[in-house]
Parts: sequence; structure tokens; C-alpha cells
Amino acid sequence: MNLYRIQAVISKEWREIVRDRLFLTLAFVVPAMLMLLFGYGLSLDVEDIPFAIVDHDNTQLSRDYASRYTSSRYFDFKGYSQDESLLSKKLSTNELRAYIVIPENFEKNLMAGKPAAVQSILDGTFPARAATSKGYITAINTAYSSELLASYLSKAKGVSAEIAAEALAPVSVSVRYLYNQSLLSTWSIAPKLIMVILMVSPPFLTALGVVREKERGSIYNIYASTVSRAEFLIGKITPYVLMSVVNAIILWVLATFLFGAPFKGDFLFFLLATCIYVMCTTGIGLVISVLVETQVAAMVVTAIATVVPAALYSGVLVPIPSLSGQAQIIAHALPAMYYTNILTGTFLKGTGMADLWQDVLILTLYAAGLFLVGYSLFSKRPRS
Amino acid sequence: MTTLRIGMTRMRVMTSKELMQLLRDTVLIIFTIYAFTFDIYWAGSGVSLSLNNAALMVFDGDSSYASRELTSRFREPYFRHVGSLSHSRDTNDVLDKGEAMVTLDIPEGFEQSLLRGEQSTVQMQVDSTNTVLGLLASSYGQQIVGRYGLEVAMKQQGLSADGGISGPILDDRHRVWFNPNQEDSWFMSIAELLTIITVFSMMLPAAAMVREKERGTIEQLLVSPLSAFQVMFSKVLAMTLVIVLLTSISLFLVIGGLFGVPFKGSPWLFLGLSTLYVFTTSGLGLVIATFSRNMAQAGMLIILLIAPMIFLSGAWTPPEAMPTVMRWLMMVSPLHYFIDAGYGVLLKGATFTTLAPQISGMCVLGGLNFALGLWRFRRQFA
Repeated sequence: MNLYRIQAVISKEWREIVRDRLFLTLAFVVPAMLMLLFGYGLSLDVEDIPFAIVDHDNTQLSRDYASRYTSSRYFDFKGYSQDESLLSKKLSTNELRAYIVIPENFEKNLMAGKPAAVQSILDGTFPARAATSKGYITAINTAYSSELLASYLSKAKGVSAEIAAEALAPVSVSVRYLYNQSLLSTWSIAPKLIMVILMVSPPFLTALGVVREKERGSIYNIYASTVSRAEFLIGKITPYVLMSVVNAIILWVLATFLFGAPFKGDFLFFLLATCIYVMCTTGIGLVISVLVETQVAAMVVTAIATVVPAALYSGVLVPIPSLSGQAQIIAHALPAMYYTNILTGTFLKGTGMADLWQDVLILTLYAAGLFLVGYSLFSKRPRS
Repeated sequence: MTTLRIGMTRMRVMTSKELMQLLRDTVLIIFTIYAFTFDIYWAGSGVSLSLNNAALMVFDGDSSYASRELTSRFREPYFRHVGSLSHSRDTNDVLDKGEAMVTLDIPEGFEQSLLRGEQSTVQMQVDSTNTVLGLLASSYGQQIVGRYGLEVAMKQQGLSADGGISGPILDDRHRVWFNPNQEDSWFMSIAELLTIITVFSMMLPAAAMVREKERGTIEQLLVSPLSAFQVMFSKVLAMTLVIVLLTSISLFLVIGGLFGVPFKGSPWLFLGLSTLYVFTTSGLGLVIATFSRNMAQAGMLIILLIAPMIFLSGAWTPPEAMPTVMRWLMMVSPLHYFIDAGYGVLLKGATFTTLAPQISGMCVLGGLNFALGLWRFRRQFA
């Protein structure tokens, strides 16, 4: 290992990057742009669900019940209708996501102390959204039911409505939300975006950088030179790691200052963990670049190996405990999940090395492993 | 007539050249097949967006019949007991470490106060680093506790003998259409297929174009008798053939075969829409190709477009919850139309006529992309 030769490879690579103005600009602009687009656009909150009401009863009570939905911020009321077949058509053209049917004799049954059935019809195309909407509807119905019961009880027993309501809810729950008390969606999304973006952009930079030499043939200069395999690979990826670390800091600034995510942990620890994570994702690019021969393949393989897992198996969109079977295995086999733990830890929980050392250790081993694989697969004596 | 035939022959030659070049890249072909089969299968079989198995730890300070009854109601699929706590002060610790997502704290004397008819409070602490899940976990928890309390009260107030709930209440009936059992695999496998189609139809044509520029072989194409349009169109045609072929394999074998998604509409219409979508997106790839001189530039530009397209077009983020500006921005994403159309055909039984807005949206975008790409290409080389 000769430091001078590594430095030579680094400066050659760096010069090549700097002279490609568009590429240099894109390397810094793309991560920041993605942060902005996702930070403003990516939200998993289910709100403003477009919905309609079919009121077959049309009494004071049924309108009172309907007002629970029309005044809710989770629902976007699109109007009353009597025509269920029209509504079901609107459900299939995405104009509505749900509608609620209040049956005839709604008021009569409830006043007589009997249950009344209300039906909600939901669009199940996106199951998670349907489940959340169902949760909202159930919550509204439960609240309304207990009010009805309380007034029924107070009439039957001749006690005041408050006492009746208290008697019907002998157990109350006090919920405390930790780490994100006001449940701000950007607080939970912004830190994880750093993970997603750093999962996607460094491998692209690296994979294309190395394969470019292969495809153009300039790699033969390296094959014929005194630069050793390790020296070449270290020199080749160092500029990309450094650029990605700079990007990580820019992303951190955007997450904390623009999107207002709280950073409670230790910045130095965050920086250390981020450097290791960037080495992991750069390492993925390195391994891919050693395996493939053309830049097309490099690009496609990198996209499949990074964009898809970053979305599905990292914990940003899909919670890790909800994964099953092979998906759990894939999630544990990729670095993204561990870095997500570090990000939520350092940003929202304020934990540090003491709680997160396992994740850091795994990432370190991962980076070392990737580099070893890349090193052993790379050969200065190509077979073909 | 003969000019047309000659034109067709030229394009056929060009297309088969592109196909040959693609098929000779073994690693690429292996990965392409993997992406359209295994990748979709794994995403569909293992990934669920709903709250499942939220790790729950309980501190039971009462250890009574009532407290055990209440804790036993926190069960799968929403909650999963991962252990008990011996001190209530440990709760913050296990949440910090991420060992639990929810802790439930039942105070001493819980059963006693229930029997005396007094109100008692149980504590729930929820890790809300993921706000959606935090909110869901607390609402499920509140429902469970509320229901339990109501059953106890029903007995105490003599409204019902067996703890069943009766009286003037709402009988909550849900019907979920298009996916009655809310199978995540239906949603996920289609979403993943759309993602994969997007990745390939953007990258393959763009790469095929940039490669010629980078190697200089574009000069050979320019002196050939093919027109600029024929060059571009043949490239797109070759990639479209491959992508649509693989899409149909994935559609019939994985999505229909393994996951049993009922094709409410015609799968052939879906393939037709896919072809249109691949064309539209390829046009976008070609535009990128005219802006970049080498593959590294093209790669970064593609990421810049493809990542927001995949995440923000509507499969992951509900469009109604997005800010208005972003919603407008997504109108230019062809995937936005393809998501509506694709799910519409496969799950909702949409037909060609009901999808007219989506189809025309894709046509317009595709036409614009091709026109822009062609114009830039001619200006650069002709």
C-alpha cells in the first residue's frame, strides 16, 4: 500500500469529476433536490379522504350523526346523495374513497334503545389507506355510540349525563407520545430521507465511475500500471465517499433547519455513523461495478439493488416489524435498516453510542465486507 | 409504398441490433429477469404497510384477573407481546432502545377500583418516531381499552347480563371493495411491478442513446440512411418489446398466478396500457439522453426524475394529502396516470372508456416527450 499512488489515483479521479461540470453540479444538486421534493411531498398521513353520505333516514339524529364526519379534518365531505350506484361508480373512478350509508329507521331504532346499523363502503385498492380510514370511522362511531348510551342510561336511571358517561367508561387511557409529542409527520420523515437519499446517490456515483473506465478501456492503463488493486479501489472511491459525506451534511442542515426536525443526539456520533453508512452504500456501488461490464448494466443493477430496497426494506415507508418472511431477511441483510435506527435515535430520541453501538458495529462490518468482496473480485488480469 | 417498406426494413434492422446488444449483456439480462419475477414476488409476499405486530411491553402493577384480561386483549395482528416489565420506570429505557414500540402500564389497585365503580387510568406510552404507526397504535389501544371498559360497565349497570353490548348503539359495518380481505400482496405486487417498469423504461432507452454518444458510434447512425426519428423510435421499440414481454410474464405468473389477484378488467388492456406507458416514459428517457454527454450525467438526471416519480405518484403517498403544488407537479408524471389506470383495470374492472382521461394524459405526455427529444436530437446532430 503506497500512499503516494493512492493520492495519484484520487487526484486523477477528482480532476475527472471536477472537469465534468454538469456531473459535478448534479452530484450535489440531486440529493438536495430529492430532499426538498420528498420533504414537502412525501407524507403517509391519511387526511382529507373524499367521501359522501347516503342518508336514507333524513331525521334530526341522522343529520347530527352525519355532522360528525363532515366536521372531521380527516374527511373531505363531497355531499349527500341518494343514489348508491352513482357513488359506487365514483368509488371506482377515484372521485371518492369511501361512503357511508345511514339506514331507514335510524332515529326510531336508537330512540327505542335498539342498535342501528350503519354501513361504510371503502375503496380497498390501497389496503393501508383503507385500514386507516376504517380506523377513523370506527373511532367516530364508537364515540357517538357512547354518547347515545350515556344519554340512554341517564334517562333510564335518572342521573345526569356526565355521571352516566363516566359510569360507562370505567377505564380511561392516558396516552403519551414519546419523541414526537405533537405527531409532526415531517419530524418522522425528514431524518429517514437522509437514509433514503444516501442509499441511492453514492452507489450511482461509484458504480458509474468505475465501470466507465472499464467500458471506455481506460482501465487498461491501470492494469498495466504499478498501482495495486487495493490502491486503485481506495483511490477510486475516496472522492465519492467525501462528496457523499458533504451531501450528508447538506441533507442534515436541510432536515434540521428547513424541515425543523429536532436533533437531540451528538453531532459527532451522527457524523461518524454517517461516514460508515456512506462507505457501505459506496461499497455496494463498488461491488456492482466490479461485477458488471457495461454502464447500462451498472445503472440498472444499482437501481434495482438500491432504490427498491430503500423504499421497501428500510423502515421509511414500511415498518420493519410488519415485514414477514423473506422481507425480514432482506431488511436485515441491507445496511439501510441499521442506519434508520441510528437516525431516529440521534434525531428524535437523543440516544448515542451506548444504545446504538450494535447498529454501528454491523454497519462497520458491512462496509468492510463489501470492500473485501470488491477487492477479491477485482482483478488486474481480466480473463476475456 | 416502397419508401415505406424500406423505412420499415431499416427500422427492423435497427431494432434487432438494439435487441442483440441488450441480450448479449448477461448480467443485465439476469438482473432484468430477477427484477420482474423474484423482486416482485418478495415485495408482494413480505411487505405490509399496515400496523402489524407492534412490539408491546406491559408493566402489570395489579396482577389481577382484570388486568390480565385487559392485557390479553392487546393481541395480534396489531400487537405482539415481547415481554413484561418489572418496574414502571423501565418503560423509557425499552422505548429508547427500540425494544418496544408501545408500553402499557396498569396501576396497582386496578381491579379494586373497577369493582368499586371508580374510574381508573391505564398509561400507554407510544414511540411516535413514525407518526402514522404511533397514531394507529394509540387508536387501536384506545379502542381495546374502551371496549373492555364498556363491557365491564354494561354488567355493572345491569344493561346486559353477560357483558355483551346492547342498547342504542351503532352497529359498525364495513365493506371494503376491490380488495375485500385487504390483501397487502395485491397492492404491493402491482405497485412493485409499476416501479420496475418505470425503472427499466426510463433507463434502458436513455442508456442505449447515451452509450452511442459516449462511444461515438452515433456518428455511424447519423451517416446511415435512417432518419433521426427512425433511430430513436427503433431504440424505444426494442426496449418496449423486452419490457412488455417481461411485464406479461410477471403479470400472469407472479401477480395472477402466485398472488391470485383477480383480474377484474382485461389483462390485455393492462398490457396495452403498459405499452403506452413504456413509450411515454421512454420518451422522457430520450429527453434526458439528449441533455447528457455521458452515462454518469444521465444516471444522476434519471435518479432526479425517477425517485420522485416512484414515491410521489400516488401509490405510496395519498394524492389528497399532498400539498397543492406537489399535486400539480405530479400531473406531469406519467406514472401518476398509470397507477390509476393499472389498479383500475386489475382491481376495479375499469375499461378503455372509463380510463379515457388517464390514457389521453399519457398520450399527451408521451407525445410531448418524443417531440422534445426529437427536436433536441436533430439540433445536436443534424
